[in-house]
Amino acid sequence: MSEVARIRVALADDAALLRESLAAALAARSFDVVGQAADVPELLKIVERERPEVVVVDVRMPPTHTTEGLEAAREIRARHPGTAVLVLSQYIETQYAVDLVRDDPAGIGYLLKDRVARLSDLADAVRRVASGGTVIDPEVVALLLGRPRRHSPLDELTTRERQILGLMAEGLSNPAIADRLHVELKTIEGHVGIIFSKLGLGPSAEGHRRVLAVLAYLRR
Amino acid sequence: VAADPDSGVYPGVIACMAMTGLARDGSLGVNWAAVDMTAKAAPAAPIETFESNRPGMRIAVVCAIYLVIVVVANTLPLVTPNTFMPQVTLVNQGYQLVLWLIWLAVLVESMVRQPSSPLWKLVFAYMALAQLWTLRYVGNPVVWSIGWATYPIQIAALVHLIVAFPSGHLRGRLDRAVVGAYYAYLIGISIAMSLIVRNVDLCQPTCHEQVFAAFADDGLAEWAGRANVIPPLVLAPGIFISLWRHWRYANPAARQVLAPVAVALPIVTVATALEYIGRNFWIEEISAFFESPLQPIPQLVMPIAFLIGVTRLRLNRTRVADLVVEFGRGIPIGGLRDALAQALGDPTLELAFTAPSGDGNVDASGRAVELPADTVGRAVTPLEWDGELLGVLIHDPAIEADDPGLVEAVSSAARLAIENERLAAQVRAQLEEVRASRARIVEAGDTERRRIERDLHDGAQQRLVALALRLQLAKETAAGAASLLDEATAEVQTAIGEVRDLARGLHPPILTEAGLRAAITALAERTPVPVTVDVPARRYPSTIETTAYFVVAEILTNVVRHARATDISVIATEAEGRLLVTIRDNGRGGADETRGSGLRGLRDRLAAVGGTLNINSPHDDGTTVTAAIPFT
Repeated sequence: MSEVARIRVALADDAALLRESLAAALAARSFDVVGQAADVPELLKIVERERPEVVVVDVRMPPTHTTEGLEAAREIRARHPGTAVLVLSQYIETQYAVDLVRDDPAGIGYLLKDRVARLSDLADAVRRVASGGTVIDPEVVALLLGRPRRHSPLDELTTRERQILGLMAEGLSNPAIADRLHVELKTIEGHVGIIFSKLGLGPSAEGHRRVLAVLAYLRR
Repeated sequence: VAADPDSGVYPGVIACMAMTGLARDGSLGVNWAAVDMTAKAAPAAPIETFESNRPGMRIAVVCAIYLVIVVVANTLPLVTPNTFMPQVTLVNQGYQLVLWLIWLAVLVESMVRQPSSPLWKLVFAYMALAQLWTLRYVGNPVVWSIGWATYPIQIAALVHLIVAFPSGHLRGRLDRAVVGAYYAYLIGISIAMSLIVRNVDLCQPTCHEQVFAAFADDGLAEWAGRANVIPPLVLAPGIFISLWRHWRYANPAARQVLAPVAVALPIVTVATALEYIGRNFWIEEISAFFESPLQPIPQLVMPIAFLIGVTRLRLNRTRVADLVVEFGRGIPIGGLRDALAQALGDPTLELAFTAPSGDGNVDASGRAVELPADTVGRAVTPLEWDGELLGVLIHDPAIEADDPGLVEAVSSAARLAIENERLAAQVRAQLEEVRASRARIVEAGDTERRRIERDLHDGAQQRLVALALRLQLAKETAAGAASLLDEATAEVQTAIGEVRDLARGLHPPILTEAGLRAAITALAERTPVPVTVDVPARRYPSTIETTAYFVVAEILTNVVRHARATDISVIATEAEGRLLVTIRDNGRGGADETRGSGLRGLRDRLAAVGGTLNINSPHDDGTTVTAAIPFT
C-alpha cells in the first residue's frame, strides 16, 4: 500500500468535532486530508486550490442546515468533473440519493452519516468513489427494495437474486459483489443475467449505467 | 261601552244593558216584564250559536244567563226573607246597581275585545259566584247555610281573575300555584267552617242554626275565626309577586292594561285589612267609615280598575305592530326572547335556534336547549324560512288556542331579528368550539413534548448510558476490549438511528426542501402497504404543505393500524383555491372518529388554517378521507 499514492481528500462539515474526528480517521487509514471546510464557499476554495481527488461533504451545512451538501456536490461536479464526491447524509431519502447520482454516477456517493462510525465502511466508500465507482447507502437501497408493491417482477426473484440486486443498487461491480458474497465471479454474472431478464432490463445496462437502471427500476 | 265597529255587537250589548238595568230597577224588586223578555230571548238563542262568530248573539246569550242568575238570586230573599235581610234603601240599592253595571261592562268589554280569550269566562264566573251572597238573606235555613258556606269562594274567583288578567290564562307555575292555593284554602275553609260553626255573629241576637254544623264547637269556631286571618297574609304576597312578574314581562301597551289593576290591588288590600282591624279591634275611626254610607266605595275600586284595563285592551294583532316598531328601534342581541315574550304575553316563552352543527338547539348564548318531551303544557312552534329550520319557539299552548295565527304572525314579523340572533348564537357556538379547539391544540402540543421526552429517555439516552458502561468495561478488561467496543459501536449506531427517526417524525426536512410530492412519496416508501401518490409538483405555502403532510401521515398510520387495507392512494388536486387531499383505501371501513385523539388533532390542525376534514367510511367498503385546505 505504501508505494500507492495516497488518495487526496477534502472534508466539509460544520461540526468541528466531527470534522476533526473524520480527518483523523481518514488519515489513520492512509488518506491524505488536504483541507477541511466548515461551509460550502470555503470548501469550493479548497477544491479550487488543492484539487483533491475526493470531496467528503456533510449534507447539512450553513446557512439553512438542510441539503446544502447536495448542492455543493453538484457545483463541484460541474466545475471539476474529475472530482469524486461522497455526500454524508442524516437523511434516508431515496430521492436525494437517486437525484445525486442521476446525471453522472461515476465517482459519486450517498452515504448515511451513521456509517462513518464503522471506519472500514467509510474508507471503502471513499476508495470506491475515488476509483470512479458509485456508492448508495445500503439503508437507502433497503428502503427502495422493501417498498411495498402491487404485482411486480421483483416477486419472481429469489432471496439470493434480491441480495445481488441490492448490491448492484449500492453501486457494487460484479467482482466486488463476488468478493462480498465469497462466490465465483461467473456465478454472479449468471445471477445478474437472470435478474435482468426477469426484470426485463436490457443488457445495455452495463458499467455505470447499470446502477442507474437498477435504481430507476426500484424507484418505479 | 263597545267600540267595535262589528255590526251585531250593539244590539246584543244594548239588549243586555237594558235587561240588566230593568232587572235591577233601583230595588231588589224584579221587573217581571224583563224576566218575560229573557224567557222569550233565551230559547231564541240556540246552543250552537253560543260559541259562534257572532259576538252580538253571544253577548246577548251570556247576559241573558247572567240575568236569570241575578233574578233568581234576588228573588229568593224577597219571597222568603230572613230576619237579617238588610234595610232596602236607595243608597245601598243604587250602590249595588252601579257595582253590577260596572261588572257587566267589564264582561261585555272583554267579550268584545277578546272574544277568543277565556277572560270573559272568568269575569262571568266571578259575577255569578258573587250572586251567592244574596242567599244569606233567604229564610230557608238550608239555602241560607249554602249561601253562607259558599260565599268565600267568590274571593278565589276574584284572585283568579286578577292573576289571569288580561290574557285569561294562568301562565307559569307561580300563577297556577297562587290561584290553586286560594281555591284550596277558601273551599277548604268553607267546608271546615260549615262543619264547626253553629251561628254567625251577623245574626245576633236571634240566630239560625247552621244546618251543616255536624261538629259544632263554639270554642273551636271562635279560634278558627281568629286563625282565619293568617292564610290570606301568607297567600296575598303571591298575588303581588305574580302581578309584578307580569309587569316585568309586559310591553308598554300591556302595562297600560295592567296599570289600573296594579294600582287597585294595593288599595283594596289595604282597605280590606283596615276593615278587618276596625271590626275586630273596635277602632272607632276605622269602623265608623265602614258603617257609613261611604262603606261600599272600596268595593268599587276593583271592578273600575278592571273596566279601565279592559277598555285599554287592544286586539292581539296590534301586538305584532308593537313588535315591528320595537324591531325598528333595534333589539340588542340576546334581547329577542324578552321582546317575543312581551309580544306574545307569555313570560315562560323560550327561543331556541338550530345548532350550527345541525344537531339539537341552542339558546342565544350558545347553550344547548332541550325541547319538551311531552307537548302537554308546552307547545313548540317551528320557525322556518324557505324550508330551512331556523329554530323553535317553546310557549304556552294557550296563546295559539286564544288567537290562532298569532304565533306565526309574531314570528314572521320577527324573522329578520330571529335570523340575526340565530347567526349571533351560531357565532357564539363556533367561538365556543374555537376555544375548545385551542385548548386541545395546546394539550396536543404538551402531549407531543411528553412523547419526545419519553422517546429520548427510553431510546437514545438508555443506549448512551449502556455505551458508557461498555466503554468502562472495555477499559478494565483489555483482553476482551475488541468485542466490547464492537458492541458499544452497535449500541451507538442504534441510538443514532433512533434519534434520526425521532427527528424525522418531528418534521421531515424533505418537506421543506423538496415539497409536498417528494415528502408524501417518501412517506409512501415507508408505508408497509402499496401507496399510489398523485400530488402536484408545485410548492405551496409552508403551513399548507405541513398541514397536508401531517394529514396524510396520520391517515396512513391509521390505515396501516386499523384498516387492513391492501391498496392506498393519495391524490391531491386543486379546486377553487383549495388543496384537496384525498386518501382512499380498500380496507374494512367503519372508521370510528370518536376513538383516539389523532383525527381530533387533525381537525384542529385543519381548522387552524380554515380547512375541513371529511371522512367517509362505510362498513366493509374502504375509507375515503378528504382534507380541504385553502391555500390562496
